[in-house]
Amino acid sequence: MKKFFIILICLFSLNTNAQVSQITIQASGLTCSMCSNAINKSLKTLSYVDQVKSNIKNSTFEITFSKPALVNFDQLKKKVEDAGFFVARFDVTMDFNKAEVKNDTHLNIGGVFYHFLNTKESLLNGTQKIQVVDKGYVTTKEFKKNAIYTKMNCYNTGVMGNCCSKNGSHAGTRIYHVTI
Amino acid sequence: MIRIINALFLLLFSINVQSQELFVYSEPASNMAAHTLGLRMAGNLMADKNPLHNSFMLTPELMYGVSRNIMLHAEGFFTDFNRPIEFNGGALYGKFRFYSNDEIHSHFRMAAYGRAAVNKNFIHQEAIDLNGYNSGYEFGLISTKLINKLAVSSGVSFVYAADNIGNKFIYGDKNRKALSYNLSIGNLFLPKEYTNYNQLNVNGMLEALCQTNLHSGKTYVDLAPSIQFIILSKMRIDLGYRFPLKNDLSRTMQRSIMLRLEYNIFNAFN
Repeated sequence: MKKFFIILICLFSLNTNAQVSQITIQASGLTCSMCSNAINKSLKTLSYVDQVKSNIKNSTFEITFSKPALVNFDQLKKKVEDAGFFVARFDVTMDFNKAEVKNDTHLNIGGVFYHFLNTKESLLNGTQKIQVVDKGYVTTKEFKKNAIYTKMNCYNTGVMGNCCSKNGSHAGTRIYHVTI
Repeated sequence: MIRIINALFLLLFSINVQSQELFVYSEPASNMAAHTLGLRMAGNLMADKNPLHNSFMLTPELMYGVSRNIMLHAEGFFTDFNRPIEFNGGALYGKFRFYSNDEIHSHFRMAAYGRAAVNKNFIHQEAIDLNGYNSGYEFGLISTKLINKLAVSSGVSFVYAADNIGNKFIYGDKNRKALSYNLSIGNLFLPKEYTNYNQLNVNGMLEALCQTNLHSGKTYVDLAPSIQFIILSKMRIDLGYRFPLKNDLSRTMQRSIMLRLEYNIFNAFN
């Protein structure tokens, strides 16, 4: 049964984030153009990244993709960290297709699992921006501040616990905590 | 002299622009980006008390960002101490960033580092210098802070002088150990506002570089103002002048001018 779930997840993950059109990352800890360029060059090593538009003054990077289906948030975050810095804000512009969002609830969108925090119950349709608020995607201060919005342990671990084995997920599946 | 120093500090602090921590005479706690290769060539023109003995040192250096927290340097030393210029030795340096507290446009970081050097020069000074003079080792700590976009960095290290290859450390076994410490500040003068990676960056730095022998207690304190140009966000030209303020610990050459070129290749091996 476990194998079946794993295969199912793999199948889903092939279509991961097909709807992501742009990601804007704000990095922390830098003030210089050489540092910004290190992040810019690091992000461009990912095969699915098409363009990186940098704003050195605000330390932001607008990223568009040549292969949106392959976009992986954790890989993008790691590229910023490889350059020696941290992610302070991570905004994802996505195309939704009638996604029913409920506060403090897990949702499978195109094979990727999202946990919506501090969000009103709503139906997401068309192009919308969501912010990833996982550990390492916001400042440490903000991560601690947002902890009030859920009691689930996945907020700290970034992966699902034993409680969440449904809809193609199982304990240990990566889940991104997001807000609108 | 004190007036000049005060004026330099005032100048650095009064201009409210973004700062740099890519110091010319010391390393910051931050590392190079992972998988980035840095190539450096430094030329040091050193003034002896006797102008006929003025010397030159050439230091080629390779740097590599192993991971986001670890970087390595390898450097070679060529000097004309014995006329003509010849290869004298080399050093390996490794730095590990173990603490980062980053906010937008600011950070506090700490790193630990170690250096091992070999040299075949005749030892002719009591001060210990693993950059071209002595064989030995060093380990230390660096803290770097950006406050309101001004970079301030300090470091402290333990230095041990071994015998050089074929040349003994002649100042007594008890004087082989020293404490080196520095305080460095840096500021970006140009551009006033960043718009793209092709803008020329001009940084000004002021560093106090000190060493105290742990047995004799003798100390030197050097001051080193420098200017740095960053071109196309990947090349660096450093120009610095180093001179002593306090000079108990004997050195043959106390004043020097350094010109260094650096070129960075991002993602060199991926």
